[in-house]
Amino acid sequence: MSDTPSIVSRYVQQRVLLLSAILLALMFAVTAALARSYHAREEGLVEEWFQKGNADLTAGRPAQAFEDFRNSLSYGPENPPVQLRLAEALLADGQLTEARSYLVNLLDRAPGSGEVNLDLAHVSMQTGDVDQTIRYFRSAIFGSWEQAPTRQRRNVRLELCDFLISHRLTKEADAEIAGLAADTPADSGFLREENGRLFLRAGEPAKALVEFEAALQTNPRQSQWLADAAQVAFKDGDYLKAETYFSKADREDPSEEIHASLELVREVLGNDPFLAALSNEEQARRTWRDFERGLERLRECQATGAANLPSEQPAPDLQLLGKDFQDLQQRLNLKLLGGDPEMRNEAMQLVSRIEDATAQVCGPPRGLDQALQLIEQRHEGTNP
Amino acid sequence: MNEPKIPVEEAQAPAPNAETASAPANDSGLQWLSSRARSIALSEGNLFLLLAIVIGMFSGMAVVCFRITIEWVRLGLLGSALAPPPIRVLLAPAAGGLVVAFLVQKFFRAARGSGVNQTKAAVYVFDGYVPFRTVIGKFLTCSIAIGSGQSLGPEDPSLQMGAGIASALGRRLKLSRDKLRLLAPVGAAAGLAAAFNAPISAVLFVIEEVIGTWSASALGAIVLAAVSSAVVMRSFLGGEPMFRVPAYTLAQPAELLAYAVLGVVSGVLSLAFTKIIAYFRPRLRALPEWTYYFQPAAAGLLIGIIGLRIPQSMGTGYPYIDEALHSQYTWEILAILGFAKILTTSLSFVSGTPGGMFAPVLFIGAMIGGAIGGLEHHFFPEVSASVAPFALVGMGTFFAGFLRVPITSVFMVVETSGSYSIVLPVMISNTIAYLISRKYQDVALFDLLAKQDDLELPSMEEQREQIVLRVEDAMRKQDLPPLQASDTLARALEIAETSTEETLLVRFPTGRWAGIARKELPALASAHPKETQLREVLSTARLPILHPDQRLDDALRFIQGHPLLPVIGRAGSRKLEGVLSLPDILAAYQRAS
Repeated sequence: MSDTPSIVSRYVQQRVLLLSAILLALMFAVTAALARSYHAREEGLVEEWFQKGNADLTAGRPAQAFEDFRNSLSYGPENPPVQLRLAEALLADGQLTEARSYLVNLLDRAPGSGEVNLDLAHVSMQTGDVDQTIRYFRSAIFGSWEQAPTRQRRNVRLELCDFLISHRLTKEADAEIAGLAADTPADSGFLREENGRLFLRAGEPAKALVEFEAALQTNPRQSQWLADAAQVAFKDGDYLKAETYFSKADREDPSEEIHASLELVREVLGNDPFLAALSNEEQARRTWRDFERGLERLRECQATGAANLPSEQPAPDLQLLGKDFQDLQQRLNLKLLGGDPEMRNEAMQLVSRIEDATAQVCGPPRGLDQALQLIEQRHEGTNP
Repeated sequence: MNEPKIPVEEAQAPAPNAETASAPANDSGLQWLSSRARSIALSEGNLFLLLAIVIGMFSGMAVVCFRITIEWVRLGLLGSALAPPPIRVLLAPAAGGLVVAFLVQKFFRAARGSGVNQTKAAVYVFDGYVPFRTVIGKFLTCSIAIGSGQSLGPEDPSLQMGAGIASALGRRLKLSRDKLRLLAPVGAAAGLAAAFNAPISAVLFVIEEVIGTWSASALGAIVLAAVSSAVVMRSFLGGEPMFRVPAYTLAQPAELLAYAVLGVVSGVLSLAFTKIIAYFRPRLRALPEWTYYFQPAAAGLLIGIIGLRIPQSMGTGYPYIDEALHSQYTWEILAILGFAKILTTSLSFVSGTPGGMFAPVLFIGAMIGGAIGGLEHHFFPEVSASVAPFALVGMGTFFAGFLRVPITSVFMVVETSGSYSIVLPVMISNTIAYLISRKYQDVALFDLLAKQDDLELPSMEEQREQIVLRVEDAMRKQDLPPLQASDTLARALEIAETSTEETLLVRFPTGRWAGIARKELPALASAHPKETQLREVLSTARLPILHPDQRLDDALRFIQGHPLLPVIGRAGSRKLEGVLSLPDILAAYQRAS
C-alpha cells in the first residue's frame, strides 16, 4: 500500500475518524456517568460501613466493628479516621499485636499524629510497657490533632498523669501536672479544679489547694470548689483556711456533710492549745479542758468498750492509761499549765494516747474527741 | 510532521459516495466537521500513530466500564462486605459459572480463557483480526465471572478487549494487513495499561510476550496507546498506584539473602501451579462438550465452599493484597491464603471460565511472599525486614516464575507500587524464580496453553533464547591486504596472481570500497596503460560495508549481487577486519545448526 492514501481510502479514513470522534464523545459521556455513579456508591459504602462500625464499637462488639471498618476501608483505603477506628476496634477486641502492627503502620505514614500515638500508648499500656506508654503519650501530647487540639492535648496529658499516678511515678506525675497547670488558662475554673484533684491524687495537697483557690478566683461562690478547697486545707492541717472555705460552702450549698466538717474544724480551732497568737492563759485553759475531756472519754470507754473490741485484737491497757492519767492529774493545775509549755505538751500527749486507745476499743471518735485527735496529729513532732 | 496536503480541488470535490451526496442539506454541523476532516490528510504511518491514541482512549474507557461493571456485579451478587453472607458465597460463584458457561457455549466461544493467547493468535494467525463480538463476549462473561467470585482477574481480558477494539478500528479504516497485525498488540498494550494503571509494564508485557521484538514501527504506537489509555483510566478512576505500599529501605545487604529464599520458594510454587493447570486443563477439555455448560458452575461451587472459610480466595483479591502489604496478616494466615488462592484459581481457570490470571498470580505472590517474609522475620529478625516488602516482592517473583516475563515483572512491581527502592530485591528474587521455573518447565505457560488449544504460536521465550549469528561468526581474514584506489593496474594484476579471491577489494581514501573481479583485470589491462590508477577505471558504484557485530540475517540482505563484502571495524581507523561472501554465510548457518 502506498504511503499516500488514495482519495477513496482517505475519504474512508476521514469518515471513520470522524465517527470515532463522535463515538469517543458518546463513550466518554457514558463512562463518566457510570464512574460518577460508582464513586457515589463507593463513598456511600465507606460512610455506611464506618457508621456501622462506630455503632458496633459503641455497643461493645469490637470484632464486628473491626469487620465493618475493614469493609469501609476496602472502598476507600486512604481514610485515616476509618483506619484509626479499625485499630481502636482491634485494641478493644484485645488483639494487641494486630492493633500495634496496624498502628505502627499508620504511624509510619503520619508520625506526628496525636491520635495514632495515643492509641499506641493505649496498646503499650495494656501490654505493660511503661516506658513505651509514656513515650507515646508524650508524642501524642506534642502531636497534631485535627479537631480541638488544645482540649485533646489536655485530655491526653490528664490520661498520662492518671497513668503515672497509678504506677506511683509521683515525681513524673507531679512534673506533668505542673506542666498541665502552667498551660491552663487562668480563667478556666473547671480546669483548675481538675488540676487540683490530680495534685491531690499525686500527694501534693498544697499545690492542689493553689489550684482550687485559682479556680475560686474565677467564681468565688462555686460551692463544689469551696468544698474542695476546704477539704484540701483540712487534710493539709490548715484549719483556719478550712474553716473559711467550709463556712462559705455551707452558706452557698448547705449540706450535712459540709456542716459536720465545719463543726469539726471549729472544734479543732476552738480547742487547739497550740494555735499561734494564744496567750499562755488561754493555752492553759484549752489544755485543761482537753485533758478533762480525755478523762471523760476514758471513763465512758471503760464502762462500755470491752464488748466492742474484736476478740483477736489485743486490748489496749485502759487501766494503765487511767493510772497515768491519775499520776499526771495529781501534778497538774491551771496555773502550772499556764507557765510550763512542757507540761501542756505532756498533758496533750496523754490526751492523744487516750483518744487513740479508746478509738481502738470503742470505735472512731466523734465531735470533740475527733478534734482532739486531729489537734495532736497536727502538732505531732512539731511542738517543742 | 510532513503531512501531504490535499490540493484544493480535491478537498472541495464531492466525495465519491452516494451516501454523502444524499446527506441532508441542513446537517450543517456534520458537514462542517466533514469539511474540516477532509482538510487533514494523513499518511498511513501518521494515521497509525493517531489511531494508537484513539485506540488508547477507547480501550481506557472500555476498561473503566469493565472494572465498574465487575464491581456492580460483585455488589449485586455478593454484597458489599469483604466477608459476604455464607449463602451468597456458596451460590454466587456457581450461579455465575452457569450463566457464563451458557453465554460462552451459545454466543461467545472465543471468550474462553485469559485472552493473551487469543491476542497472540490474532497477530500470528488471523492477520490481526479479533472479532468485535469477542470484545462484547469478554466484557460480559468476565464481568459476571469475576463479579460472582470466580478466582480470576480483569487484566488479561482487558488486554484482549483492547486488541479487539484496535482490530475493529483498523478494519474500518481499511488499513494494510501489516498495520492490522500491528494494531492488535497496540490495543493489547492499551487495554493492559488501563487495567493495571501501569503503562510501562503493559508496553513491556506486550513486547515481551506478544510481539517478542523491539520493533521501532510498533513501539511508538504501543507507547502512545498505553499512555493515552492510562491517562483516560486515571481521569475516571484516579491516579493512585494500584497498591499502597509502606516506605521501604534496604536495611542491610544480608536482607537480600532473605529475598533469595523467597525467589526459590516462589519459583517452586509457580512451577507447581503451572503443572496443576497443565495437567487438569486438557483433561477437563477432553470431557464431553455438554459438560462445558457445567464445569464453571462446578468450579464455582467448590470455590464457594472454600470461600465459606477463606472468602479472601474469591474474586480478584485486590483488597487483601493491600492488607497483606500493610502487615495485617500473620505469616500462617498468609500461607493459607496463598495456597487457597492457588486452588481456587486453578479451579476457575481449568474449568474454562473466562478471566485473567494476572490478578490471582499477584495475590498468590503477595501472600506467599508475605508468609516467607513473616517466617524469616520470626526466626531471623535481624536479617529479615517486615512482612510488607516481602509481599510486594513476592508479587513480582511469582509473576516472573509463573508467566515467565522477567522484565515485565520487575517493572510491574515498581510501577504498581510507586516504590523504586524495592527494585534490587525484586531483581534478585525474580531472577531466581524465573530460572527455577525455566529449569523444570520447558515450555512457558502461555505457550503450553496454546499447544493444548492446537495453536502453533511462536514462543517469545524461545525467540529470546535463540542464538543470534553475527557477521564475525561468518567472516574470514583476507590473505592479502586490500588494494588502494591509487594502486596501478599492474599492481592489481600482480596481486591477482597471488590471491585466491575471485574478487579484489579496493579501498578509496574517502573510506569508500569497491570490488573488481579478478577475471576482468586482463581485459582492463589491455584497454588501459598499466600505469593507470584503479580509481580511473573502477565504476562509481560503492560496496556496502558490514561490521563484525551486525546480525548475519542483516548481512544476507546486503550481500545480494555482491560476491564479496568488506567487514570494517567500527573504531576510528576503519580497519578491514575481514571479508564475507554468501558461501561464508551459508557455512556459518550450517555450523550453527
